[in-house]
Amino acid sequence: MNEWLGIFERTVVFLFWTSLALALVMFGTVVIERLTYGIVGLRDARLRSRYVPLIKAALAGDEQARLALVSSPSSHHRALAWLLILPLIDNREPEHITKTRHLADALSLAPMADRLLHSRWWWRRARALRALGLLQYSDYTAVIVAALDDPNPDVRAAALDALADLKDPRSLPSIIVRVHDVSLYRGRRAQALTAFGALCEPLILELAAVDHDNRLTYALVLSRCGTTRSRAILHRWATDELAEVRTAAFDGLARIGLDEDGARLTLQALNRDDVPVRAMAAQALRHWGTSDATAMLARHLDDDWPVAVQAAHSLRSMQKTGLAVLEAQATRTDLAGLLARQMLWEESMRC
Amino acid sequence: MLTSTALTAVFVFSVIVTLYFAVANVAQIFMGITATVFQQRHRRQYTHRARTLARRVARPPLISIVVPAYNEALTIVESLRALMALEYEQREIVVVNDGSTDETMARMKEAFHLLPAPVAFVQPIATEAVRGLYRSASEPGLVVIDKDNGHSKADASNAGINAASGTLVLIIDADTVLEPDALNRAVIPFLEDPTTIGVGANLGLTNGCRIQNGRVVHVTLPRNWFARFQIIEYMRAFLLFRLACAWVNGVPIVSGAFGLFRRDAVLAVGGYDRTAIGEDIDLTTRLQKYCRERREPFRITFDPNILCWTQAPEDWASLRGQRWRWRRGLIQVLWRHRGMIGNPRYGIMGMGVLPYIFIIEGLGPLIEVSGYVVTTVAFAFGFLNWWHYLLLLGVSTLFGWAATLLAVLLSDVSTGRYMSGRDLGLLVLITIVECVGYRQLVSWWGVVGTVQAMTGKGGWGVMKRRAFESGPAGVG
Repeated sequence: MNEWLGIFERTVVFLFWTSLALALVMFGTVVIERLTYGIVGLRDARLRSRYVPLIKAALAGDEQARLALVSSPSSHHRALAWLLILPLIDNREPEHITKTRHLADALSLAPMADRLLHSRWWWRRARALRALGLLQYSDYTAVIVAALDDPNPDVRAAALDALADLKDPRSLPSIIVRVHDVSLYRGRRAQALTAFGALCEPLILELAAVDHDNRLTYALVLSRCGTTRSRAILHRWATDELAEVRTAAFDGLARIGLDEDGARLTLQALNRDDVPVRAMAAQALRHWGTSDATAMLARHLDDDWPVAVQAAHSLRSMQKTGLAVLEAQATRTDLAGLLARQMLWEESMRC
Repeated sequence: MLTSTALTAVFVFSVIVTLYFAVANVAQIFMGITATVFQQRHRRQYTHRARTLARRVARPPLISIVVPAYNEALTIVESLRALMALEYEQREIVVVNDGSTDETMARMKEAFHLLPAPVAFVQPIATEAVRGLYRSASEPGLVVIDKDNGHSKADASNAGINAASGTLVLIIDADTVLEPDALNRAVIPFLEDPTTIGVGANLGLTNGCRIQNGRVVHVTLPRNWFARFQIIEYMRAFLLFRLACAWVNGVPIVSGAFGLFRRDAVLAVGGYDRTAIGEDIDLTTRLQKYCRERREPFRITFDPNILCWTQAPEDWASLRGQRWRWRRGLIQVLWRHRGMIGNPRYGIMGMGVLPYIFIIEGLGPLIEVSGYVVTTVAFAFGFLNWWHYLLLLGVSTLFGWAATLLAVLLSDVSTGRYMSGRDLGLLVLITIVECVGYRQLVSWWGVVGTVQAMTGKGGWGVMKRRAFESGPAGVG
């Protein structure tokens, strides 16, 4: 017993000193961190108060301010770069970007970004890519495209950010061939394509014609950036064997708008397809106020909930013809009646 | 003979208690290191540029903000105005007046010109009867559901989830104050990763803060000591434990004050359980269970930045009631999901997170309080000399202090709150005082809460609310 007591005593003493040392180390770390935070904060505030007015003046065309910035100590250039570049995230005015880029050229910020691109730390590479994109350095398009194959996923994401900001049409093929690349973050892929808008369409149509396996991805992209040129392929996909492809096709048609063929396919789908496809088909009929469409939508007001809601909204969008159908349905006591009354109420509130 | 047996018993017990303290605190420090790695990565990923993602994608998801409100007349209008000013545009606000007996409904009607409206929606989750639905004449994105009191936040939240049209639902408390870019930040994991089903966030306490137009404009440490202790507790809970859990996709709780979920995932598990005392931990655990049983890829993640602020109780009775309730909720969840504990089928949740919660959170207060009692009695009866006694107390206190300081460090890096020199001195003082008094008190409440859970006693409890302190920015 005494032996065990001795071991326990020694262990407790050891734990006591360990915990004391740990607590003191933590205390020291917090104090040092706070001091560092304070010093860095003071330095940042000083640099901000010194350079922000100069940057504003230089961007407004003040040559003296520009010279003052150029002759600033090189140790300040990194902080200066961020003071210059960060506002570009929210201000994407082409003129503002061009002026900022000229100022960045004068400050030799591109070579600095170039150096960071070769850093072993992923966040530095990502930062450099974002800076190049925000400043729209189109000379660096190839470098940024190459970064889409960086081993780090966040650097690849930053490259997509940069390409979205750069909007260089030369980078479009590289983005489009990667739209189904799951190693790239989904949101960033969507963002890059949104940045290019309808410019993507010809390439997507070209690829869709030969790459049948990835048609779902192409259908999803066209549902966001397609124009009337995509109608033919969307019509084909509206009868595809995969429900997800059909849903995306009707989603695209809902955005682009229907023609006679599209309306016929949509009405057929509304009669016999899966719930998500029917819901999207009901949505596609918005503003298509023919009598067969209104009658069909009225029949679907008591369909499954997602379909019924879309049908009600589509009827409301048809204005006079749709509202007349809704008024006729409003006396019903079931879901269809309630949805019809809601749509009529919302329309009256809008008016 | 008796003395020898007692001495042996005291010795064995001392070993158990010491081991418990050592394991618990070393685990916290280990979690702190993991959390630091997660936090650093998160900071570098979620840059200002990344936070603009939601407004750059073609179709950001519609977020339905569900605000269950029961007797929230003091803060409801200001809270809703702040929600309406959020930066994220694709949102609707669904307020559920859960049979309030105060002026909550009247205040909303007056402030937002509410009109009775036909609003059709299906009710996949059963709730208490809905009395009426209102739309605002001045705010198109506002829907108010007036329903019978369901005696739980869960029932009100379910009614809101039923009525939500968004693919994502954000469940908050009526007195939660959101940061202006909270939705822009919280939605990113859903945009980036289609398997994301839930996102939680770090909470700040509004106690002591100055709030203007529903925004926290000045942050200082509160004067009230209970609120001060809770700031430290929140730092530990959110920045050590939950961040570490997020790192291994084992988040067991997305706080009821701020939880963004995919609506279909919540519906798949039947929404909040009306009989759950801790409805937030219960829902998150069920989501984990559901996805892991079906082997579906999923992610529940956590944002270490403060996306929202909430009020902590400042008086003894409210705090005690809250802790009793939390304790009963924890015991209930552990009991309901006991089949997951130690079960490899549930991955890190079964083999890591839940066993940790069971041992450290579940048994912790019992071991801690009995440890204090036994060592004190042993000391009083001469079975333990004063030197041993102080050493044991010192070990538990110093380990606890170190873990708390690590949480303070993480909080500094994540949130940059309480950074003035005065705040530093005060925070260090709070971390010391908290170790020698408040912690023991909370452990005692934990023991009482456990007894209540075993005997089926206790209710929801009432928290005394205060209207937000408002005034010009920067005025201390």
